[in-house]
Amino acid sequence: IMNAFGLIQTGFILLCTTIICSHQCNHLLLQQRKVIESSLRLLDKMGKNFPQQCLREKMSFRFPKQVLRPREKETVRVAIEEIFQHIFYIFSKNLTLAAWDGTALDQFQNGLYQQIEQLEECVIKKRTHYCWSKEVSRLKLKKYFQKIDCFLKDKQHNLCSWEISRAEMRRCLQLIDKVTRKL
Amino acid sequence: AQIGPPGIELQPTNGDIKIKVSPPEANQGKKMWVNDLSFKYNLVFWENSSNAQPRSKNIFPVDTIDDLAPDTTYCFKVQANLPVEGKEGLFSPVSCVKTTQKAVNDLLCAANLRVLGLNMEFHLHWENQYKQPVSYNVQYLIGYLKRLNEDYSGKWVGVPGCGNTSGTWCNVSCVITTTGFYYLRVQARAGHNKSCLSSEVKVDPLKMNEIGPPGVKLDISDTLLHIQISPPGGPEGEVMRNNYVLSYRILYWKNSSNDEEGAKVKETKQTVATIPDLAPETLYCVKVQALSEAYNKSSVYSQEECIQTPGEKAFPLIILATFLVALVAVLLVALPLVFVLYQAYSKIKYVFFPACQPPLNIEGFGGQLCPSPYLSAPEEPIENCSIIESMITYEGNQIDFKDYKHSKQSSRDSGNYSNDDNASGSKGSAETLEKQII
Repeated sequence: IMNAFGLIQTGFILLCTTIICSHQCNHLLLQQRKVIESSLRLLDKMGKNFPQQCLREKMSFRFPKQVLRPREKETVRVAIEEIFQHIFYIFSKNLTLAAWDGTALDQFQNGLYQQIEQLEECVIKKRTHYCWSKEVSRLKLKKYFQKIDCFLKDKQHNLCSWEISRAEMRRCLQLIDKVTRKL
Repeated sequence: AQIGPPGIELQPTNGDIKIKVSPPEANQGKKMWVNDLSFKYNLVFWENSSNAQPRSKNIFPVDTIDDLAPDTTYCFKVQANLPVEGKEGLFSPVSCVKTTQKAVNDLLCAANLRVLGLNMEFHLHWENQYKQPVSYNVQYLIGYLKRLNEDYSGKWVGVPGCGNTSGTWCNVSCVITTTGFYYLRVQARAGHNKSCLSSEVKVDPLKMNEIGPPGVKLDISDTLLHIQISPPGGPEGEVMRNNYVLSYRILYWKNSSNDEEGAKVKETKQTVATIPDLAPETLYCVKVQALSEAYNKSSVYSQEECIQTPGEKAFPLIILATFLVALVAVLLVALPLVFVLYQAYSKIKYVFFPACQPPLNIEGFGGQLCPSPYLSAPEEPIENCSIIESMITYEGNQIDFKDYKHSKQSSRDSGNYSNDDNASGSKGSAETLEKQII
């Protein structure tokens, strides 16, 4: 019975790794890199330099870097999509006090959203489940973003909390950028 | 963990049904599924009559179902899914509502909206069959707003330059960027406050856009054909090219039999290409298309450009002949020139920097011209001549002779006596020396 179970698991994993190789989802990989590039640019564009008075309130969130260590390429790509979802969620509300450039922010969100939407389409078409959901480091990733969300809520989404979060997201995207260049 | 049922609100409007879905755990403080924007909602609805087939549709949190029969009751239920994780949630309770009559403004509404894009320039076209004059107002919505749980109906913005047009198309490029989706709709207005909103059209810019043909320039050298490709979109098309990661397919063939037979293909990622080993004295024709592998797109082919390869033998001979002519010309010109220059040089040197000095007996001649000063003449030995008048007779010859001798001696060298004296003196001294030594 154990042998059979082992075989099924291996088969399952093999299924999981073919998710983005379909022809229709080809441009997804190229687009992912472009989205990261433009997101970094737009993050810079939407606000000014980090305000000095917010340095006191700086917090260390500790992004779980092991999420991006490529054991399998596909796992890393799916992790990146989930990160996009989290960032999209964080930047979707209570932005009044941040006073950022609305156009840049719109384009930033729009780019992330398009990427999320297209991945979902590919997944639905192929009707396979992600192995990513079984990953342990996924929980660490969720915890990281929850920390940022709680930080923003505690500070009532004031200017400094937004600027700190923006700097943190920038760091996160830069890490992702480095990883995708190696893939 | 299981995803709970979402909430559903229905509102019949103008023959359609507006749906608002509230995410599972909407009013809870502590949530299991924190990111409520990650849900994708699956709507299942059917006509409330027997033998009705249920239809299934993916919807946004706030959405409109059109394409329904008026004055009919429909029933709806919705579930929240996380497709990336393969999780499907529980269905909401079923909710039924009756559709209203559709307002009779149909003809006024713009219909058949379509977007045509070429090199990222997008034009929206529509049709209208209203008999009276209509003015149109094109509006757009940024795609991601539909994903949020709020109502986006107030977030439509007019496209600049497309307000109050009477034509049936408009250039919407100013609002469309390469990142993200957009929705477009047209509001039609006629006199007496009649207006109608058309249905929406979704724009996925990079997918919808057509890549235009590139430009081609040919150049020939010997048996090499140089192809210069000018990328589509010109200087403003840089963003587009960057997103597509364009490559080029070159088609070239011999135009000898007016056939495209044996057309050869060359693919390149660069905008310059070289084709070697061409046959001499043949007309070659080339056309190029741009490709995006990632998006599976290709442009139409460019205009055909043709060029003739030069003849084989003539060419080296021409080179040799040119070389010889050039050599002869150079010699003909250079040698006399060198000769003339040399002559001029020597004349100038002769006049201004003479090699020999003027003779001394020409006093003062060129005293200033000759830079070399006169050398001081060495002292010439001066003979002290004294004439002794002696009478030479036969009688006192010998004496005279003696005297003469003496005089001779003296005349010859006055220092002789002194020499003798010296000699004797020196002899004496030598003797004294010897005496001293002993």
